[in-house]
Amino acid sequence: MAENGESSGPPRPSRGPAAAPDSAAAPAEPKIIKVTVKTPKEKEEFAVPENSSVQQFKEAISKRFKSQTDQLVLIFAGKILKDQDTLIQHGIHDGLTVHLVIKTQNRPQGQSTTQPSTTAGTTTTTTAASTPRSNSTPISTNSSPFGLGSLGGLASLSSLGLSSTNFTELQNQMQQQLMASPEMMIQIMENPFVQSMLSNPDLMRQLIMANPQMQQLIQRNPEISHLLNNPDIMRQTLEIARNPAMMQEMMRNQDLALSNLESIPGGYNALRRMYTDIQEPMLNAAQEQFGGNPFASVGSSSSSGEGTQPSRTENRDPLPNPWAPPPTTQSSTTTSTTTSSGSGSGSSSSNTAGNTVAAANYVASIFSTPGMQSLLQQITENPQLIQNMLSAPYMRSMMQSLSQNPDLAAQMMLSSPLFTANPQLQEQMRPQLPAFLQQMQNPDTLSAMSNPRAMQALMQIQQGLQTLATEAPGLIPSFTPGVGVGVLGTAIGPVGPVTPIGPIGPIVPFTPIGPIGPIGPTGPAGTPGSTGSGGPTAPTVSSSAPSETTTPTSESGPNQQFIQQMVQALAGANPPQLPNPEVRFQQQLEQLNAMGFLNREANLQALIATGGDINAAIERLLGSQPS
Amino acid sequence: MEPPNLYPVKLYVYDLSKGLARRLSPIMLGEGPGVRHTSIVVHKDEFFFGSGGISSCPPGRTLLGPPDSVVDVGSTEVTEEIFLEYLASLGESLFRGEAYNLFEHNCNTFSNEVAQFLTGRKIPSYITDLPSEVLSTPFGQALRPLLDSIQIQPPGGNTVGRPDGQS
Repeated sequence: MAENGESSGPPRPSRGPAAAPDSAAAPAEPKIIKVTVKTPKEKEEFAVPENSSVQQFKEAISKRFKSQTDQLVLIFAGKILKDQDTLIQHGIHDGLTVHLVIKTQNRPQGQSTTQPSTTAGTTTTTTAASTPRSNSTPISTNSSPFGLGSLGGLASLSSLGLSSTNFTELQNQMQQQLMASPEMMIQIMENPFVQSMLSNPDLMRQLIMANPQMQQLIQRNPEISHLLNNPDIMRQTLEIARNPAMMQEMMRNQDLALSNLESIPGGYNALRRMYTDIQEPMLNAAQEQFGGNPFASVGSSSSSGEGTQPSRTENRDPLPNPWAPPPTTQSSTTTSTTTSSGSGSGSSSSNTAGNTVAAANYVASIFSTPGMQSLLQQITENPQLIQNMLSAPYMRSMMQSLSQNPDLAAQMMLSSPLFTANPQLQEQMRPQLPAFLQQMQNPDTLSAMSNPRAMQALMQIQQGLQTLATEAPGLIPSFTPGVGVGVLGTAIGPVGPVTPIGPIGPIVPFTPIGPIGPIGPTGPAGTPGSTGSGGPTAPTVSSSAPSETTTPTSESGPNQQFIQQMVQALAGANPPQLPNPEVRFQQQLEQLNAMGFLNREANLQALIATGGDINAAIERLLGSQPS
Repeated sequence: MEPPNLYPVKLYVYDLSKGLARRLSPIMLGEGPGVRHTSIVVHKDEFFFGSGGISSCPPGRTLLGPPDSVVDVGSTEVTEEIFLEYLASLGESLFRGEAYNLFEHNCNTFSNEVAQFLTGRKIPSYITDLPSEVLSTPFGQALRPLLDSIQIQPPGGNTVGRPDGQS
């Protein structure tokens, strides 16, 4: 019974609640001592019997400090007090101080630096965890696609850490941003354009195969080629990719299955093997692709998308470069996406698939944002940038693969919802594709595209034609082009949020393709490169209300075709909106009717929303598609 | 019960003036080395308090180099985990970066506090008494406004605990 250190006067009585008499009373009576408990934040005095155990002490403390006893750690003289000890055992006497540490449930600091919760195990999570750190600023600007618009364009990109005009780096960073931003992903996914592209398994497969990285991967893992060649799997994967909810569901199931597998004896090893053999290379390949692309396509696609529709957008002035290469980048993104979708059916690759698909989707939807427009502006103002974009390796490879495989390009184009509205356009476009691709490969084209003045000149031509169309409409019918090229822009208008595509008049034919990426190059190539080849393709795109003439372009001479195309574009550009979506979707409406969707209004709305894509419209009508 | 692990606790003392004070301080203070910085070394890590808050680094790895003298404070049972938690809450309450005051709430204050927590013993008094000694001299009082603005943060460490680094 030590009474030393007593601050107040009489050692005992006033001491604690239990006024257990100490010395006078039976020696067996425990003495109450006052112990100070000190936490880093506060200190309190406790009066407890001398021979109480640490456990009891902790209980009293927990009441006062409002925590649980197992959260409390008592330290005295450098020793941790265990529950079964007594205070006396540690020499805790009256007036001494005991230190207390209250354990927090989740160790925020100090300990285990919280790993980026790899719970879902999806690479998205990981990417998201790591990227926000480095891209904290950019992410906040993601409200518009890359927030470039608000940032003031490319110049401000350096503020995001993208200091070089090297577009590949830019794209990498953009991709990371996209990956980290779920809203963008959603936008991309919802873009009917992207969805229609994804729904074509052959197309996707070709895209995937065209990617050299993918080819490498396939060499290493022949199972992947099996996956790719199996149309059912592809279709299913694409289906999943299009539907984010389904994708999540599938990933969840996979995770469940994996975890079950783990519990089987020997299962863990099998899992590990699976991962290292299959998933890792896939992830690496996918990420490489991402690195090279994802954003690049977005950035570039948007530029191209915008560039192709000059007539559509209202203030696209500086935008003279509608056909910025984007399509290549986009194709690369889609390539990576397809890669992932190909591997999606693999057990552990579903995650990758989800990510890559999402990334591709992102890219597409990015185009439709106003941010892209400003990006395009930026790009056009900086010819060097365009040059960089064009010379980006993936774009090169994309163009090459497209030129080597005209079918692929044709498919891409045809899968555009715009085209579905007018099969005639498709027919017209088809033969033009190889020529367009050649154009894109032509370095002259590239330099012309990167020359803002050339772009501006083209814009002027388009504007002139537009004026002509309004002033002397009589001239236009002589051009016929099948469908108002400009309508492309308008046609694109109803296609959901794809606004930026509007303004690019001359390139109109490829405007819709712009976002699609691969088709992009063909578009721009047509315009700047030569008047001829671009001609027929342009008009083929959408059916415009204004010029109902659907006479196939039969003019002779490339020049006429080109002018024709321009006129069409202008004519089409005039009415900003499709004059009559009903007319445009006549065919689809009939189909829907035949299928049993009798609500004409609803059908129309769905068709407008999906840009004439029947499948997507059906899904929308059925309410199964997230809108 | 079996004896729990004991971790040695040491106090690293750095003479910031690197000997200069040895020559000057007899004039000012009439005694030994003047400016000291201390840190506690436990669990193979060195912990100290500066204007940036509580920091940690491998022992002897701050820019100050190896310590000028090492004092053995004792041993502790406190595990690293508990210690880091403790430091974290200290860093939020008593030893925030902005709470640093060269005279009254400095690294030595921190070392003292931590030493007591870990072992129950304080650090040698000649270290903790330095500020008051200086302030008690007329010279020290004259210099006080200037000295108040000095903040010492030996570089080469990582901030402990606080999620946002706190400074």
